Amino acid sequence: MSILQIQNASKIYGSGHTEVNALKPTHFSAEKGELIAVIGPSGSGKSTFLTIAGGLQRPTEGSVLINGQDVTKLSEKKRSRIRLSEVGFILQASNLIPYLTVENQFRLLDKVKKGTMNPNEKEKLLKQLGIDDLVKKYPADLSGGEKQRVAIAKALYTKPSLLLADEPTASLDSDRAFEVMSILSLEVKEKNKAAIMVTHDHRLTKYCDKVFTIVDGQLSQIAHGDRADAQLNASD
Amino acid sequence: MFLAWNELKSAKLRFLLIIGVLTLMSYLVFLLSGLANGLAELNREAVDQWGADAIVLSDESNINLPQSSMTIQSAQNISAKDKAQIAQILLVARKSGTKIKESVAVTGIQKDQFLMPKISEGRAFTTDNEVVADDSLKADGLKIGDHLNISSSDQKLIIVGFTKNAKFNAAPVLYTTQSTVQKIKYGKANASGKGLINGVVLRDPHFAHLKVDPKLKLTPIETFIENMPGYTPQKISLDFMIYFLFVIVSVTIGIFLYVLTIQKVSIFGVMKAQGISSGFLIRSVIAQTFLLALFGVFIGLVLTTITGVCLPAAVPIQLNIPALFVYGIIFILVATLGSLFSVQTIVKIDPVKAIGG
Ligand SMILES: Nc1ncnc2c1ncn2[C@@H]1O[C@H](COP(=O)(O)OP(=O)(O)OP(=O)(O)O)[C@@H](O)[C@H]1O
Ligand SMILES: [Mg+2]
Repeated sequence: MSILQIQNASKIYGSGHTEVNALKPTHFSAEKGELIAVIGPSGSGKSTFLTIAGGLQRPTEGSVLINGQDVTKLSEKKRSRIRLSEVGFILQASNLIPYLTVENQFRLLDKVKKGTMNPNEKEKLLKQLGIDDLVKKYPADLSGGEKQRVAIAKALYTKPSLLLADEPTASLDSDRAFEVMSILSLEVKEKNKAAIMVTHDHRLTKYCDKVFTIVDGQLSQIAHGDRADAQLNASD
Repeated sequence: MFLAWNELKSAKLRFLLIIGVLTLMSYLVFLLSGLANGLAELNREAVDQWGADAIVLSDESNINLPQSSMTIQSAQNISAKDKAQIAQILLVARKSGTKIKESVAVTGIQKDQFLMPKISEGRAFTTDNEVVADDSLKADGLKIGDHLNISSSDQKLIIVGFTKNAKFNAAPVLYTTQSTVQKIKYGKANASGKGLINGVVLRDPHFAHLKVDPKLKLTPIETFIENMPGYTPQKISLDFMIYFLFVIVSVTIGIFLYVLTIQKVSIFGVMKAQGISSGFLIRSVIAQTFLLALFGVFIGLVLTTITGVCLPAAVPIQLNIPALFVYGIIFILVATLGSLFSVQTIVKIDPVKAIGG
């Protein structure tokens, strides 16, 4: 069974003169172990796609199945619960709570969810991401890359089956960006998750299994992994 | 509690300032209510000391003790469980040989009846013209052994003792024998005055069943106090002042805490995107408000108590500690309710907006 299945979903913001067709009717699925990139110009509908995929908002039409459960039919409360248990969001630096230390960012998740990582798993994750020395620090005292790695750890900590990342490398230099990508791809392969990543950066697609473009709300797959990379470079 | 407490710890200065505002607000309400109480108390504190349930006055007096007059004979006919005769005259007393003057209520009582006050200094009166005075007179420079000249009579009084909390309708009371009051009122020679007093004070919870002479009127003690000249209008003004203050302060605090929540909307949005429920966030906001209000009110109470002790005796402040606790609890409740303004905001936060872009 696919982790994420989007069937004929579309999104229209507003109505009449202000109507925006942010997402045209779309079929999409993400399987276990897949890291998928979505590339597109600004305003093309990338964030709209990602938030619909993660059950943050409902599509105007169509359905979204996360692990077989149609989240478009659920109340906000139930969708919130699915997000907590099945979905890990990685945003830009903003998804850290400014007044909690790194340690307490994780404790907050312990408070609201059963079945987060046990101490061993957590220690391993923090080591892997190179942030095990930062647990006593507040987000304001971390560098951009450290924040991003903490955000990734936070998204993985609840053991989601679906990872959604909106420009996770936007604030990083390219070395850091590559590092973050290899960690993500390792997590996805090792733990059999599905991950979708929105990015502007074509160079990152070499870590990905599938690459999609989105233009004016129209999603289309352009290629698989390395080939996608080659193709894009050729067309540049 | 987890979020609430950690946020308090990480932004200490900000939250200390907020607690400071809450402290000052509660201090303002507590102190003003103390002053209002004190002012109202000036009228009734002597009566409160009596611990009485009712009073019998002449029907024509319009429930005004100094204006009332009745015979001792009719007083004796009242069959209450415990009763005490009272004679009273309002006049101006002047310390002999000085210009120190004060309006006083010279009050004649029977030493063996319950109106006899506790002596805080000196001794009880034993013969005519000896008085036990309200100790607020000490602030005017009066002391034991002082002689007092009085207006409208050639009688002289001598202070032999002091008692606490004895103001009647804002005038310090001088307790003395009944016959002293009669001598001042009717003159030494007038024998007919001997049988007259102003009223009878009753201690009897079942006073309503008592029968009294048709020329007399039985009045519950609260009604008697409310009919003191100026008491009720003054009390209404003060009460309304406190109510309005309370309401305005509560609304201010509500708005204040609401603004505090508004500032956190984007952080809440991020947490909601992650799947943390609105309920969890609402509980944390309420818990935080509760903690802030608790600290604020507690410090406010401490400050009020200290101020109460430090203010000069001339300031009529009456801190009713149990009442202040009740105010404090209401204050904390109101502040916590105020944070409920924010609930709607939290429920409405759209996580998409928080992570969008
Ligand atoms: N809440 C909204 N109401 C109306 N229109 C919206 C809303 N959110 C997005 N849009 C419109 O939908 C289109 C797609 O927006 P979206 O945020 O998905 O773009 P994006 O690809 O993520 O852009 P960027 O790369 O700049 O983040 C845009 O034209 C945008 O103006
Ligand atoms: Mg976007």
